[in-house]
Amino acid sequence: MKIIRPKGPEIFDIELEKDLLAKNRGLAKENRRRFDRSNILAVDMMGSIGSGKTSLIKAILKRLGMGKKAAVIAGDLTTTIDAERIEAEGARVIQVNTGKECHLDAHLIRRAIERMKLDGVKVLFIENVGNLICPGEFPLGAHKRVVVTSVTEGPYTVIKHPYIFREADVIVLNKMDMAKPMKVNISELERDARQINPQASIIKTNALTGKGIPKIIEALGLKA
Amino acid sequence: MHEFSISDEIVRNVLVAVKENNGKKVLSIQLEIGELALLNVEQVIFWIHELFKGSVAEGAKVKVRTIKARIKCESCGYKGGIGLDRQDPFQHVIPYSCPKCHSFQINVEKGRECTLRKIQAVR
Repeated sequence: MKIIRPKGPEIFDIELEKDLLAKNRGLAKENRRRFDRSNILAVDMMGSIGSGKTSLIKAILKRLGMGKKAAVIAGDLTTTIDAERIEAEGARVIQVNTGKECHLDAHLIRRAIERMKLDGVKVLFIENVGNLICPGEFPLGAHKRVVVTSVTEGPYTVIKHPYIFREADVIVLNKMDMAKPMKVNISELERDARQINPQASIIKTNALTGKGIPKIIEALGLKA
Repeated sequence: MHEFSISDEIVRNVLVAVKENNGKKVLSIQLEIGELALLNVEQVIFWIHELFKGSVAEGAKVKVRTIKARIKCESCGYKGGIGLDRQDPFQHVIPYSCPKCHSFQINVEKGRECTLRKIQAVR
């Protein structure tokens, strides 16, 4: 008797070693090499929505007075509002719209620097999407990472987001003039930041009056 | 918060690898996610299932192995895992300081991965 058996499906395994987060870290290293080759200091400005990232960048640019030797990559979901505000300070600006994404990643930065003319640029600020969670996980290749929070977000932003504050080289506590009306105890915010990240410089600012801006410039190793 | 984009990338990688290997149907995929990666595993699995719909991977099992964290403490030299101490407010949020001396000056050697390790498929 002849038995006809159906051909069984062939099951097979594909072994991979694809770390999706490591991919971003690799691209970030490439970006860093690109910055180093061109002698550019790259600064990743992270922080919550409305904490004053754009205002701080504007204030730093004004103080530095570097004109087109300073460049900014403005990250946002859809609008060009921030890029236009920064352009008024005379720096080169490129807008990166992430569309739906909650953070910038190293690949987007690579694409931005490919399109930007970086010759003669000495310092590049990368304004991340307003968010205290995701950007921490996605290094961009910047030399310094700044995390901005302001007192109008209340007294618990630092302790509630330890991860991103751990990643920071500089922690900026902005809108100091609002601490009193907001009934926020600044020394407690500072204490939280110090405990989470003993190495970071902690700087209190008021971006609108320029208070504290020289200290940020110093912490970034820049000269006004 | 970035679970969707990570899941999207995982799905894309799965479908490309399966196509390259002439797979007709995906039975399961295996992921390794570090316990310090800022990813909610439940959300990742949910999105992968959703994104698999309508593809050769629809209905595939998504297996996730958690990778325990391994740190090296720069203050006291401790090397090893990190215990979850619920008394410590910071460790409660994210277990991230030296379990021996409580220093935050630590290097994470393991525990931040999000790796697509294996795909089981039918030819």
